[in-house]
Amino acid sequence: MNELKNKKILLVDDEKELLKMTESALRANGFFNIYTAQTCEEAVSIVKSQKISLMLLDVMLPDGDGFSLFEEIRKTSQIPAIFLTAKGESENRIHGLGLGADDYIVKPFLMKELTLRIMAVLKRIYQTPVISEDFYLGKKRVSLETASVISEGKEKALTAKEFILLKKLYENKNRIVTNDALCMSAWGDEYYGYENTLMVHIRRLREKIEENPSAPKSLVTIKGLGYKLVVYDE
Amino acid sequence: MNKSAFKIFIGFTVISAFIATILLVINFIAFAIIGSDTSIDLNRNYPEETLKSVSKSLEKSEDGFILSDSFVFPQDFWCILINENGDIIWSKNKPDDIPSHYSINDIAKITRWFLNDYPVYVSAEDYGLIILGIPKNAVGKYYMEYSMEWFSTLPQRLIGILIVNLLLAAVIAFILGISLYRHISVLTNGIRDLRCEKDVKLNERGIFKELARNINSTSAAIARKNAALGVRETARLNWISGISHDIRTPLAIVIGNSEALENSPDLNENDRKRARAVTSQSIKIKKLIEDLNLISSLEYDMQPLKQKSVRLCPFIRRIVSNIINSGLSDNYEIEMKLENEKTTVSADEFLLERAVFNLINNSITHNKNGCKIRVESYTEDNTAYIVISDNGSGVSEDILAKISQIPKTAHGLGLPMAYKIISVHGGKMSAKNNNGFSVTIKLPAET
Repeated sequence: MNELKNKKILLVDDEKELLKMTESALRANGFFNIYTAQTCEEAVSIVKSQKISLMLLDVMLPDGDGFSLFEEIRKTSQIPAIFLTAKGESENRIHGLGLGADDYIVKPFLMKELTLRIMAVLKRIYQTPVISEDFYLGKKRVSLETASVISEGKEKALTAKEFILLKKLYENKNRIVTNDALCMSAWGDEYYGYENTLMVHIRRLREKIEENPSAPKSLVTIKGLGYKLVVYDE
Repeated sequence: MNKSAFKIFIGFTVISAFIATILLVINFIAFAIIGSDTSIDLNRNYPEETLKSVSKSLEKSEDGFILSDSFVFPQDFWCILINENGDIIWSKNKPDDIPSHYSINDIAKITRWFLNDYPVYVSAEDYGLIILGIPKNAVGKYYMEYSMEWFSTLPQRLIGILIVNLLLAAVIAFILGISLYRHISVLTNGIRDLRCEKDVKLNERGIFKELARNINSTSAAIARKNAALGVRETARLNWISGISHDIRTPLAIVIGNSEALENSPDLNENDRKRARAVTSQSIKIKKLIEDLNLISSLEYDMQPLKQKSVRLCPFIRRIVSNIINSGLSDNYEIEMKLENEKTTVSADEFLLERAVFNLINNSITHNKNGCKIRVESYTEDNTAYIVISDNGSGVSEDILAKISQIPKTAHGLGLPMAYKIISVHGGKMSAKNNNGFSVTIKLPAET
């Protein structure tokens, strides 16, 4: 995780105060390779001289706009970008994401939110997609690396679909994941009609991870909505 | 076919034909009356009557004839009495150029006609022939003869003339009506377009030239006003989005700094609490700005929608899950009853989510001590229904009455905003108190 905080981040905003504040907030959150620029020109020269890992671009800049700056930089490199904008219109949002930006944040924002979004983009781009850590459901240990459940020394393998579902639930642990989201992760956009199949997979999953599958404690049903994976962190 | 112009045309034709007929009949009667009155009036003296009076008043005396004293003989007239031999045996006012003896031929000539250019009237009595004369050139006399057939077919011919006249009147009225119809239908089309505020440019010609010109200038005036109004609305919209844009950046700095203070180890707990208050109030301002932008764009720009097909059931599940996931207290229970999984509506998902979220959130914020919330969805007759109800304290009648109006303050925006969003989607939203608060949304379902 700390590796991600080593990444070089470029902040581009014409508002000096905001720039200073964002920088110090990011530093407080553990990022320390932070570069700032107030104009497109400065931003371009920094990108040329440094190996920037993520850009935060204001849409309105004194010598141009963030969108065209982004397009210019993208001609030569594939640096991920998050747009910061004072314009809330969804048009702008769609334009920004349509250009290939990774995220879009409307001002004003909470630093907590900004940090989370930066981490999310960094993780997505720079971290190996496999979540390697293991976690416990009651007394059973789930290994995402080997896609198996280990209990009392015995290892039960998860099927591909079970693994996808459990991973999706774990990524949103202690939160409700709707049937639709689960089906979509397992069967893609045309998931309609898989609801019953989903129930079958959930039942099999429970047999593997629950002490008592008919009274589930970890993989609970939220009636009418979906499922929730209850995980107690140590 | 232009309906109103056609009505005018029919009315005009009927009225014209009616007027023509009435005039014809009146003229006919008047002509008959005037034509039939051939009585001759000469200073209030009537020759025929005078003749009759003379024959009555003429008395035979010993030395000839004498008019009774009571009879006043008109001054301009003259009168003679001729015996069987053709001699004048009595006379009154006899002019000098009247002969005193008459042969049978003379008598035959003067009967009914003229005597020496004097118009004369003749009355045959036992005692002789009375001839009454009136001044020369006082009357004209014409001899007329008609066959009996002429008399017997007169009614038919009169009726025939009347019918021909009627037809002629109808045809003329029709031709005039057609031309009037053309003109008027142009005008009525112009007025109709005017009502729809379309651009109207009529040909300024013909009898309605003035009218057409007025319609044209009214259209131009409307276009000018609309343009001015549009400019003002755009300015207003730009102003709102500009202001909110200008507020966002400083607000971001406020929030960032207060957030930093919240976590600052240098501050005591009290000061950190104050910083937290600054942050949470700033977030409220942020929400207001977003609402303001949304409301103003909904109000002035009714079609900013990026419509796409939205499957209602997953959509509602996602919103409810998000609400629960964001840390809903256990005091609230959300019950779901979603039917017709296949139903889709055409909607701007972001806006519709805002509306449904607002309504559920409304139940939560208005019942601080918790309540049961029920979210239902079903489809009937190509209409998708979303019903959100709670068993809480309900809302005041005042709020229910003003559900379609955007409030003057930012307080209580939730319901009116949802209402606006649903309207923009061609749907209907109604709210009532029913053992709590209940909102029904109807949206046209996609087929």
